[in-house]
Amino acid sequence: MGIVSPLGHGLAATLEALRAARDCVSAVTAFDTSNCRSKTAGQVADAPVSSSRKERRLHRASHMMIHAVREAAAGDPAFAPDAMVIGTTSGGMSFGEEFYRAQVRKQHLRSAASLIANYPPQKAPTDSMQAAGFRAPLTIIANACASGTNAIGHAFRLVRAGLHRRVLCGGFDAISEMVHAGFDSLQATTTERVRPFDKGRSGLVLGEGAAVLALEDFDSALARRAPILAEVTGYGISTDNHHLTQPHPSGIGPEQAMRRALEDAGITPVEVDYINAHGTATPFNDASEGAAIAKLFGARVPVSSTKGMMGHSLGAAGAIEVVFSLLAIRHGFLPPNINYRESDLAWELNIVANAARECRVGCAVSNSFGFGGTNASLVLEEVRG
Amino acid sequence: MTIQIAGVGCVTPLGCSVDEIFRRSAAGERAAVTELVNPETGETLPASLVPPEYTAHLNREPRLRRASTVSLLAAAAGKAALADSGIDFTAEARSGLAVVLGVSSGGVQYTRRFFEQVVKHGAGAASPLLFPETVYNAPASHLAAMLGVDGPSYTLVGDGTVGLQALHFAAQLTETGGAKHALVVAAEELDWILVEAYRTWRLTARTKTRNGALLSEGAAAVVIGSEGRRAAVHLRDGGTFFSRREAPAIMDRVLAGLAEFAPVDLVVSGGNGTWTDEVIAAAVARNFPDTRQPSLNPAEAVGEILGAGALLQVLLALDALERTGSHRALVAAMGWNQQAAAAVIECGNSR
Repeated sequence: MGIVSPLGHGLAATLEALRAARDCVSAVTAFDTSNCRSKTAGQVADAPVSSSRKERRLHRASHMMIHAVREAAAGDPAFAPDAMVIGTTSGGMSFGEEFYRAQVRKQHLRSAASLIANYPPQKAPTDSMQAAGFRAPLTIIANACASGTNAIGHAFRLVRAGLHRRVLCGGFDAISEMVHAGFDSLQATTTERVRPFDKGRSGLVLGEGAAVLALEDFDSALARRAPILAEVTGYGISTDNHHLTQPHPSGIGPEQAMRRALEDAGITPVEVDYINAHGTATPFNDASEGAAIAKLFGARVPVSSTKGMMGHSLGAAGAIEVVFSLLAIRHGFLPPNINYRESDLAWELNIVANAARECRVGCAVSNSFGFGGTNASLVLEEVRG
Repeated sequence: MTIQIAGVGCVTPLGCSVDEIFRRSAAGERAAVTELVNPETGETLPASLVPPEYTAHLNREPRLRRASTVSLLAAAAGKAALADSGIDFTAEARSGLAVVLGVSSGGVQYTRRFFEQVVKHGAGAASPLLFPETVYNAPASHLAAMLGVDGPSYTLVGDGTVGLQALHFAAQLTETGGAKHALVVAAEELDWILVEAYRTWRLTARTKTRNGALLSEGAAAVVIGSEGRRAAVHLRDGGTFFSRREAPAIMDRVLAGLAEFAPVDLVVSGGNGTWTDEVIAAAVARNFPDTRQPSLNPAEAVGEILGAGALLQVLLALDALERTGSHRALVAAMGWNQQAAAAVIECGNSR
């Protein structure tokens, strides 16, 4: 696996930041936020991928994907994907913004054609393939904030059914003014800290990043003595038709997704040791998801949303949070739900409040829910051999 | 991988059924060309739009009252395909129905309008009514809500090949047990900013007399499943190329994956008046050398419908097979953004 997020570049930096419960949300530097409610975001520190002119011209979404894919490739150099499934919500959106601004200014940009060529969502994954030296059929899933989880879930189904042996999957998104203004216009953003599941939660801030996983048929990985980090054992998807941008308050959508993922994995709720919640810290999301988790799992299973540390990275979020969950499984700790002050009395949850906890994690559930009522959950388990 | 087509539907500037497109294009008619205007520069941009009356019947749908054009187009084609399938989608049947949508640019009108407000009036003045429709999966969400689907709903984004990608994805869903049936829709809407972008990339017609592709909008839809079968579609993995220089080899590789179905009676090409035409034609000639019929290029009559183009090729290939009593048709598409895809449509007609 490979990851780039506001918590750092790479697995080691990510693990260290998670254990330290580091708040990586900061003032937005990429564009002017003076007219916005929210002026902060989780931002990835720039790290150019190379000094070549060609790679410098790429969108920073490509840079993030290249970093993540190269880290995954370094972890298992023999892994040769025969398909790639990636989730995103906005691709190279900021290049589209630049193109539009040039129209308004009646300015002829020498880079205009390059902006257009690097704008589409499939460009960053394609660039990462080229940088990592492989080529595979590419599928881009754009299921809003569930995209990354859907991509991993679909890849898992492809491998399990024997349609592909090795699939590189994950998600990415780069912060942009258009999307920031969008969430702001919906008043889904907060003007203060992000407090998932807290009684006083007031909204989200955006984040960005990229994360990928190398999925392989277990026997195939075993036969070539590949480093097996964990197993994906279940995937559930549901669609909540209540509203385009708001979940049904009952939590029926998240509940169906989690229930279907558990059934797919052939396990019961009591076998789950940790839930990495979607937990955007908006009043609506956390109420719906909290109700669903409480109904299915009660207050026994530790729950955290890691978005307090890094914001909501949209199409990347699901993939990043699966990596967090795998780090939890492999290193025996529960990632923290920071900025938590007071329980919401609407449900009783076992929140991993403010600090990481040392704890064996044999099985984790990772949730992602998005606009359009799309809900997705994955079950991840330690290698049982 | 092989799937069965149970029903089809479409909406294009040249008609809102395959039969209408056939009749009008056979009579020599072409999609009407409209001049969109870039309001910032005053320059005109030729394009073909779907007449509003083709989707007017959807205005009463609660979820579509403020929906984007692409959502309306997707809904019109999707509903037509479901009706054409003849399958009774009871509540039980809907539990096994997946929605798979393919788009290239999605709700670009709302996206441009929303960002225009941000740029010209400040982020604080941008309308919350516009933003939700800018997300790629808004059309799929509306379709799922209209149909009462609470299971899988996916939106794929890609270039002109995305319709075939969506069909392949839906086939994977049914193969892996994710769904029993799937409604596959590919749709695209136009806005001046999109046409301006492709013109900047030197891919589109500069005038009505054409020099490059004429961009168009519309939607195509297919219902796949084991019931009500009309034709089989043989699908293989698509290809990714890193530069135009590699495109011929990748198109060759994609078509070689379908060579077991050669010879075919018909080729329906994604030719659109740009550099991809020659790549597709040469690859077809190399990999399906016994095909004597000239390729059909739907874009010549309907325009290049971007994300909807490849799925419309499938519909027109099926229609041509059924009209001529032929057996197999090859559909080949190459997008402008590094993707190639193909499929073979097979009818039960004896050779």
